[in-house]
Amino acid sequence: MKRRDFLGAALGGLAVGRTGSLAGLRASRATWLLVPMDETQSDHLKAYGVTFRVLERGDKAEWFLNYRDGSFLLPGDAATQRDAAVAGVSATPLDDGQVAEIRAGLSQGNLDAVPLEKAPKVAVYAPPNAAPWDDAVTMALQYAGIKFEKVWDPEVIGDKLRTFDWLHLHHEDFTGQYSKFYLTYAGAPWLSEMVDRNQRTARELGFPNVPAAKKAVARTIGAFVERGGFLFAMCTATETLDLALASDGVDIAASFADGTPMDPDAADKMHWDKALAFQNARLELSPSMAVYSDIDGHQVNSPDRRQPLGAFTLFNFSAKIDPVPTMLVQNHRQVIPDFYGLTTSFSRQTLKPGVTVLADEAGAPWVKYIHGERGQGTWTFLGGHDPEDPQHQVGDAPTDLSTHPHSPGYRLILNNVLFPAAKKKELKT
Amino acid sequence: MRWPGALLLVLGAVRTASAQDASSRAIDLERRGDYPGAAAAWRSQLATNPADLAALLGLERALSPLGRLPEMVEPVQTALRRDASSGVLGIAIRVYTAARQPDSARAAVERWSRLEPGSEMPFQEWGLAAYSARDRASAKAAYLLGRQKLGRPDAMAAELGQLAVAEAEYGDAAREWSLAIQRNPAYRSSALGILAQVPVAGRATLLRELGKVGDLSGQRLAVALEIRWGQPLAAARRLLAALSKSGGDDVPALQETLEDLRGSQSAERAIARAMVLEQLGERAQGSQRARIRLEAAQAYADGGDQASARKMLGTLAGDPSATAAMAASASSTLVGVLVDEGGIEEADRKFRELSPLLGAEDRQRLALRLAQGWIRNGRLTQADSLLAADSSIDAEAIRGRIALFRGDLARARTLLGDAGPFTGDRAAATERAGILGLLQLLEEDSLPALGEAFYRLERRDSAGAAAGFEKLAATMAPDHGGGELLLLAGEVRAGLGQNPEAEKLYRSVVAQAFPASAAAAEFALAGLFLKSARKEQAVAALEHLLVTWPTSAVVPQARRLLDVARGAVPAT
Repeated sequence: MKRRDFLGAALGGLAVGRTGSLAGLRASRATWLLVPMDETQSDHLKAYGVTFRVLERGDKAEWFLNYRDGSFLLPGDAATQRDAAVAGVSATPLDDGQVAEIRAGLSQGNLDAVPLEKAPKVAVYAPPNAAPWDDAVTMALQYAGIKFEKVWDPEVIGDKLRTFDWLHLHHEDFTGQYSKFYLTYAGAPWLSEMVDRNQRTARELGFPNVPAAKKAVARTIGAFVERGGFLFAMCTATETLDLALASDGVDIAASFADGTPMDPDAADKMHWDKALAFQNARLELSPSMAVYSDIDGHQVNSPDRRQPLGAFTLFNFSAKIDPVPTMLVQNHRQVIPDFYGLTTSFSRQTLKPGVTVLADEAGAPWVKYIHGERGQGTWTFLGGHDPEDPQHQVGDAPTDLSTHPHSPGYRLILNNVLFPAAKKKELKT
Repeated sequence: MRWPGALLLVLGAVRTASAQDASSRAIDLERRGDYPGAAAAWRSQLATNPADLAALLGLERALSPLGRLPEMVEPVQTALRRDASSGVLGIAIRVYTAARQPDSARAAVERWSRLEPGSEMPFQEWGLAAYSARDRASAKAAYLLGRQKLGRPDAMAAELGQLAVAEAEYGDAAREWSLAIQRNPAYRSSALGILAQVPVAGRATLLRELGKVGDLSGQRLAVALEIRWGQPLAAARRLLAALSKSGGDDVPALQETLEDLRGSQSAERAIARAMVLEQLGERAQGSQRARIRLEAAQAYADGGDQASARKMLGTLAGDPSATAAMAASASSTLVGVLVDEGGIEEADRKFRELSPLLGAEDRQRLALRLAQGWIRNGRLTQADSLLAADSSIDAEAIRGRIALFRGDLARARTLLGDAGPFTGDRAAATERAGILGLLQLLEEDSLPALGEAFYRLERRDSAGAAAGFEKLAATMAPDHGGGELLLLAGEVRAGLGQNPEAEKLYRSVVAQAFPASAAAAEFALAGLFLKSARKEQAVAALEHLLVTWPTSAVVPQARRLLDVARGAVPAT
């Protein structure tokens, strides 16, 4: 569901609210399933999949914000019960009376119920040869059993994004510099393949070089958000997407990528108004250093500037007034160990005014998790590569999420997947 | 006269301090990533002293990340007019190469070469600069020019080898790296590091070309690469074939390969190691030869090649240089080999001869192995008597199995229970726990038919064992061992590759619907489906299991297998 539908549906939502929301629509049913998301849940990550599949079957669900750490109320039909049992997700059967009791509690305190109405169509931006285990979102979606489609440059340029509600970006380098690994990993077969594939695709799409193609892709993604799409990005896709958007007409790519060196005055020529989240960043001029700018607070690939990992704290929002950020931070842990990525965090000094900070590290000059709006859509950026592989290195073994079913970091990702399914009038503080 | 002299000293000191300040400022700007600022600072220093090597290097460092190195052409030319030292010439080569001025670069190379005749450095500098600029053709030309000028056919072989790999010219790579190693053996690890990255498609060509290299060096490199690529047996065979033709001093090559074969020991790796040791033993003398042969025999035995192990031990038996300890160790290895070969009588005789010479631990270890050999040969009494004096947990476990094979379930329960999970490897401990679980379900204290079926399994008559379990199951209630026995029969059938029979047995247990056996049978059924690429049926079976038997002990494994079947987690 696009955000404009989301807002447009608010009027209808009022009517549903008067009839008792989902409970009213299903008053004839005797039982419900409450999927608790506190410490009693046996598989937090698969709980999102069970909820998603309820929506896929055309049923409705509700997200009880801040109630038992963001629980879900699902219809107690046989299919849902079976799905929860197969997935190993804890679910408690409730009758109408018990649900009414919970609702009474929700009306008091910082809690609320958000109807979930339609399973969003999910796209993951990844090259065709990307290893499925090297992208936290792909792993989370596969583990939870949430369907998605992969798209890449030809699909984006071919305007296929119009058919999706939600788009995820991970470690793609939208500056077209191959994560700036070109010199460090020169000769590595995986890098050669990445370079060849990108160059071939750029040529086929009619662009003179990879940076030009990626800028066009970034612009199309920006337009997707403007039209009402939901964008979620992690790792280096966050920073490079904004750099690509802001560098319209400015050469920020090293000569190995486009044949000409980076414009040494590029930082002064950037159009930050075109970026989603960041402004006034200082660009890294060295082509051999896998760092793009000072947007990243941790600078993991800069020996002189690298910062140690700490822990980040999720912010509290008012569930009744700020449901969107509240949904995005639902978790059974408020403090989460940090994890590196090519872009690990976001310097406070480079954030645009109006960006909503969802999590930060107390006292540090960076934040971890941010959210904002563009046109009719929204974007959410989470720094870092893999919440359960804090030091992630190229070639590391894949993360097996069956050993991390309670991962609070992965919950943040899945909050983002369900958030577009929500149907409620958004009120900003 | 003193006054002006002092003034000059003061002025000189001021100038030095000022230069130091300028350098510090430039370096500080570099550290902060302000390369344009650093470049300006270094330029101002060069304005005072155009041949200042530190400032030239600084300017090069600052301009390189900006992609503006060609701007240094003029400062370099100015510096060269004042100081044509190798340091400045090196910078000149890099700058001219970046500026695409090959003639100037070549002039600088030749100038440097005249300063240091016989040095490879000017050509290496030029080649490296061209390679960094991703101009591999110029890099190759630079190295070949150096080779020609220096008149040494092996000059810059490593550099040319590296280039050849980048160009996927594996014939050249093979020749150049062999030359490099012949000239300086320290290049071996670099050669291996680079050549090991050759993609699978290019490996056959590379190995063939290495084989064509005149002396043994190419084959040695090929052997090491095959080991790295997980083909130890092929590597050992290649080495042995090459040695038979070389006629030179082979020992370093054998030792080198032995070193490469260290690490985790698969059966193939153990046999490869044994083959190399055997050859090394041929070339050794005295007690060292005996020791190496003993090691080879043990390696053959570890790899499961009992015939070769026995052959090695035979050569050792007649070796007068073998010490008493070596002879005991050899006899001990021989007992193990004989047991594995089925020569149990001879093994027993050897053991009794050897027993007084062995330490308690070795004696116990061999006795256990021998007892297992007697069991496999159908002589339970001999096995029992051999362990009579042994009260260890290992012996309890074997005695428990003997009781089981005799159908004495009461005694088997006690002994296997005492042994618990504390002996043998993980597979043996798991199997023991499984048997104990089955015995606890059965009410009988004596069941010779069950013992016979298990004994058939032990003696590798799996089909007979499966039939025995099935026959016995028919006489038992499903919830009192009947289901478990059918499940066991199914597992044996599956192990034999009789999948339809196994599937039928599993399905019959699932249909009986008794919790423990039905859930385990459904899990086994799903595993069978997955192995036969029937993914959808596996998923359906696992989902049914999870929904029907949510409290079964196999639920965690079933959920994990379901994730694997669906591709939700990486298969491990």
